Amino acid sequence: MAALIALYVCGLIALFAAIRTVVEPEPYRKLPYLNVMNFAIAGLIVLILAHPLSILAAAAYFVGSTLEANAIASTRAAVMEND
Amino acid sequence: MEPELVLGLAVLIIGALAAAFPRPKTYLSRIISLEIPAWGLLLIMLAYNETLALLTFIAVTAISTFVMVRVVERRTAP
Amino acid sequence: MIEFLQVVLAGIVILGAVATAWSRDPFNKLICLSVLVGGVFPFIVAGGYLDVAIAVALITPITTIFVLAITGRNSDGA
Repeated sequence: MAALIALYVCGLIALFAAIRTVVEPEPYRKLPYLNVMNFAIAGLIVLILAHPLSILAAAAYFVGSTLEANAIASTRAAVMEND
Repeated sequence: MEPELVLGLAVLIIGALAAAFPRPKTYLSRIISLEIPAWGLLLIMLAYNETLALLTFIAVTAISTFVMVRVVERRTAP
Repeated sequence: MIEFLQVVLAGIVILGAVATAWSRDPFNKLICLSVLVGGVFPFIVAGGYLDVAIAVALITPITTIFVLAITGRNSDGA
């Protein structure tokens, strides 16, 4: 039952952060909310399936999504600096 | 009927419309919109039990995006 | 996977697909595409395809970085 409560909390955080990411008008404030959603999804992956390899999938998703968000942010900063 | 199949069909239709009529009519926005139906097709293939097909599809999608980026960067103006 | 989580993740996937098709800036398109991938990923894990999930998690940032290499170059056309 305790794991089910954690599942509900992670799902609600992911939904809230996804909606805030989409509707946020300020471009630079989209990326922290995207990171919040990625952390919630990475927590959700471990709770969905009880398997010894699922922690590896969660770690791979965590590293990959953080790298992706940081690549978008740094390229956007470089483009804004050129203009 | 599995929920992945219904969700994948919906995403496939949205992505096909987005790739056919991209919002700014540039090559770049068409390439980014072309990745939406790839994820829809991945969700549809998830409803059938073929692990090797999923792995191959993911790899081929990445390689085809790489090829299209290499083609588009030669021609700047749309 | 429980019913609540299926509804929430389906909402995230549809929201990401529509927002990717709707937004005009290429950076906003890539951010919304990342939301779409975040919604699709738990469906892959819930199906039991953990090797496919690891491959998806490692290949998706590479695809985004390929597209970003052309996005920063001609930002005026987008």
